[in-house]
Amino acid sequence: MNAIPMEDRKFQKELNAGTAALVLLSVVNRSTEPIYGYQITKLIDAGSGDVPMMKQGALYPVLRSLEKTGLLESTVEPSVTGPPRRYYRITEGGRAALDRWTEIWNENKAFVDSVLKGTYHE
Amino acid sequence: MNKAIDDYLVKLKTALAEADRATIQDALADAEEHLTTALEQALEKEPGLAAEAALPAIIETYGAPAEVAAAYKEMENMTPTTLAIPGLRISAPRRNRFFSVIGDVRTYGSLLYMLVSIVTGIFYFTWAAAGLSLSAGLIVLVIGLPFFTAFLLSARGIALLEGRIIEGVLGERMPRRGAFFRKDLGWWGGFKALVADRTTWSAVLYMILQMPLGILYFTIMITLIALSLSLFAMPIIHYVFRFPIAHTNHHDYFLPGWSMPLVAMGGFLLTIVTLHAARGIGRLHARYAKRMLLKRD
Repeated sequence: MNAIPMEDRKFQKELNAGTAALVLLSVVNRSTEPIYGYQITKLIDAGSGDVPMMKQGALYPVLRSLEKTGLLESTVEPSVTGPPRRYYRITEGGRAALDRWTEIWNENKAFVDSVLKGTYHE
Repeated sequence: MNKAIDDYLVKLKTALAEADRATIQDALADAEEHLTTALEQALEKEPGLAAEAALPAIIETYGAPAEVAAAYKEMENMTPTTLAIPGLRISAPRRNRFFSVIGDVRTYGSLLYMLVSIVTGIFYFTWAAAGLSLSAGLIVLVIGLPFFTAFLLSARGIALLEGRIIEGVLGERMPRRGAFFRKDLGWWGGFKALVADRTTWSAVLYMILQMPLGILYFTIMITLIALSLSLFAMPIIHYVFRFPIAHTNHHDYFLPGWSMPLVAMGGFLLTIVTLHAARGIGRLHARYAKRMLLKRD
């Protein structure tokens, strides 16, 4: 179907698995109102360019797990058409985790960049 | 609801068959919510569009059922499980779960383990009994201490081997390498560490207990298997061989003909019960072995 090599897709997948929680937490945090799954995937798709970050369906279990660990909370609201929607909101703990994770991410990014540029010294 | 979405949900449910009930419920709710909303938005954007034409692309970006199921299962492994909501039945009904034991690979692993453990159990017991008593007898001689050390080391080795067997057939994760021993302690220090480590002694105890347990497992399994098979074969014995179920001086006793289908059915049910028993005992034994053979911190 698409010509992305197998090893590239594996690399992308592993990378996404590690960052999905951070991305989702940040998206929910930025939203001023409670936000539901479809809106989240739309926002992420809009920001990820040609290559979608990961299958939309794979984002939902991450949302669930973030809720289970208390970083997000959700309410189910009936919708006019179709099934009820689950609206997510970030918790205090989620905000604290987001700050910590952002820091970890920045450090990690700086480290990887420095290795790629060859400026990394022990 | 849309037929294609319905189909997708059924496929997703099938792909999640082995997952936790609560996970299945979450996954189905998420997928339904997402697909319906996405379809709605697509139709709003292009009013003339038929739902059938829009859905393939929506499902493609959402992910194939197998892919999405894999994501949920992965998450299930990483987050602590919460209890499923009682009374909510999303997965296969109980009846299917009762019979699903037939297709479970662990069932047969447990069955195999139970039949083999009589052999390994006798070997472990003999080894432990001989090792302990010889060590006690030889302790006054020069070779006493080296012999005792060698025996204790062999117990650790056997514990590792038994762990490998258990991981192989019972599917419980067990150590793949021997416990770490410090190299800098010297002979005497190493010996003291070995003796002071309770894992050494629980391994010896495990070896000794494995014989009675092995005999028990073997007896239970053979009895249940033989009983199931004989109930299964009862109609043949009755109609083909005309063999009575009991014989006392000059009297043959037969079961009535109408009971034959019931008896055979009983044999079938007992077979399933046997498989459940095998899997259950296997699970319990794996847990027990983990306690006995692993270092506790």
